[in-house]
Amino acid sequence: MSYLSIKGLNKSYGSTQIFSDINCEIGQGEFITLLGPSGCGKSTLLRCIAGLTTVNGGQILLDGEDLVPVTPQKRGIGMVFQSYALFPNMSVEQNVAFGLRMQKAGKAQSQARVKEALQMVELSDFANRYPHQLSGGQCQRVALARSLVTRPRLLLLDEPLSALDARIRKHLREQIREIQQELGLTTIFVTHDQEEALVMSDRIFLMNAGRIVQSGKAETLYTEPVDAFAAGFMGNYNLLDAETASRLLDRPISTGVAIRPEAIAITADGEIEGLIRSHSLLGNVIRYRVEARGVELLVDVLNRNESDLHDKGQRIVLSIDSQAVREVA
Amino acid sequence: MSRADTTASILYHRVVVWLLFLILLLPLAGTLLYSLSTSWSATILPDGLTFKWYFELWGEPRFLKAFGQSLLICFSALFLASILILPLLFVVHYHFPRLDGLMNILILLPFAMPPVVSSVGLLQVYGSGPVQLVGTPWILIGCYFTIALPFMYRAITNNLHAINLPDLMDAAHLLGASTWKAAFLVVLPNLRKGLMVSLFLSFSFLFGEFVFANMLVGTRYETLQVYLNNMRNSSGHFNSALVISYFFFVLIFTWAANRLNKDKS
Repeated sequence: MSYLSIKGLNKSYGSTQIFSDINCEIGQGEFITLLGPSGCGKSTLLRCIAGLTTVNGGQILLDGEDLVPVTPQKRGIGMVFQSYALFPNMSVEQNVAFGLRMQKAGKAQSQARVKEALQMVELSDFANRYPHQLSGGQCQRVALARSLVTRPRLLLLDEPLSALDARIRKHLREQIREIQQELGLTTIFVTHDQEEALVMSDRIFLMNAGRIVQSGKAETLYTEPVDAFAAGFMGNYNLLDAETASRLLDRPISTGVAIRPEAIAITADGEIEGLIRSHSLLGNVIRYRVEARGVELLVDVLNRNESDLHDKGQRIVLSIDSQAVREVA
Repeated sequence: MSRADTTASILYHRVVVWLLFLILLLPLAGTLLYSLSTSWSATILPDGLTFKWYFELWGEPRFLKAFGQSLLICFSALFLASILILPLLFVVHYHFPRLDGLMNILILLPFAMPPVVSSVGLLQVYGSGPVQLVGTPWILIGCYFTIALPFMYRAITNNLHAINLPDLMDAAHLLGASTWKAAFLVVLPNLRKGLMVSLFLSFSFLFGEFVFANMLVGTRYETLQVYLNNMRNSSGHFNSALVISYFFFVLIFTWAANRLNKDKS
């Protein structure tokens, strides 16, 4: 039986439908990511689970209890916001202790739990600082400690890494994942960054225009997109319509196809001739823009050494792994 | 820009600032000197210096009464403004953010209407009929409340925007706080700066207000500025002592308030 079960959830503002008929099952201790573009309804769905936004219909069952009629104060849910939402008038310690203060926890118990939570996010030395004296990454770690200290039944993370720079983002996502696994805490993470989703999640729910388009393990979502949107969002897929695909692959194809850039190889024994239009270095990968049979393709090749690099205007031969050609609607 | 250019521009800026400072200070320095002089009429410098006018002023029961009444009216109006505007701002920004646009127009009304025009209107409405307030301090408290409204609304609104009210409330709710607790423990302490700044600004303005005080209440409940006006035919030295006392009171009050309002962190 699943730990969190969402059944037929609807939300609209006036005549604008934010999402409709959302159904999903989440197991205890799972790390789930709601992934999708801005405005797809993922943050609203998270706020509905938290109880910060009312729903128009449906059920949210957490451990068998329907949360819809329960106030946010009594749901036992922790949440981390993109804006950190730390209380500026309180020190780090007071911020973290706030939830326990509301629960009227004893002083000794409260101090011990705050200490433990700050240790967990490696901020024990910052207990007496105020939020304006902390960096963005430190603020977000305090926010994480504050949401963990009350031992919530469910942790919600609303784009917590979006306001941070790349290096801190990378470190913090690893830290969040470690803590989540250590505590076995069921977590729902909202992001529009597919890399974050792929790295962190047990399962990803891909959302678009108020509905869950595809859900599954990160590997499945990446390699087996169900439609053109999923293919376009999850990677830099080459999306071709039926006619273009037939011309490129030299066989009749009746639907659109998606081909991953890394599934196309530049090799001497290939059969498709092409011309390098441009190339760009993405660190360990070189991304070529190649024209082949009148079709412009993205081709990713591992950046092994400089002598492998093909120049702009160079003629090459491509081979496409037929297993990697996915038909998409 | 060369080093010489930079030095020249710094010098220019300093000269302008000091010149402006002197121009603003000159009438005040003149008034101060006049209030300290025994007599000063046909000579370049005063005949002698004395504190006599200050002793006379601060021993004058009518002055002390006017001073006290001014303080009472200002503090009452600001107290009323605080207890009404804080919940109003909270409700507008948390529950009905769209009303902020309407509020911005409404709070400009006290400024859009010249004081003489609005005081005539107030005299018409409250001079007779069921609510006769003209001549009582109550009409002045009500009137000063509307004058303080724009200062307070704007300053606290800026403060509210800076703290990201909806997210703070959401976070407090999820941590178990009721809306009341969240407002008192989380929101209110963060509005202290905006509230204090607007209170002192409004106080300085209201303490020196004359048109409404004179037209709506006059001598029936004499405020400091009305007293000053009524004393215009008495000794200029006495009046100068009054102006300087008023100025120093506002200065010291604002300075002390600023000191108290400094962040602990």
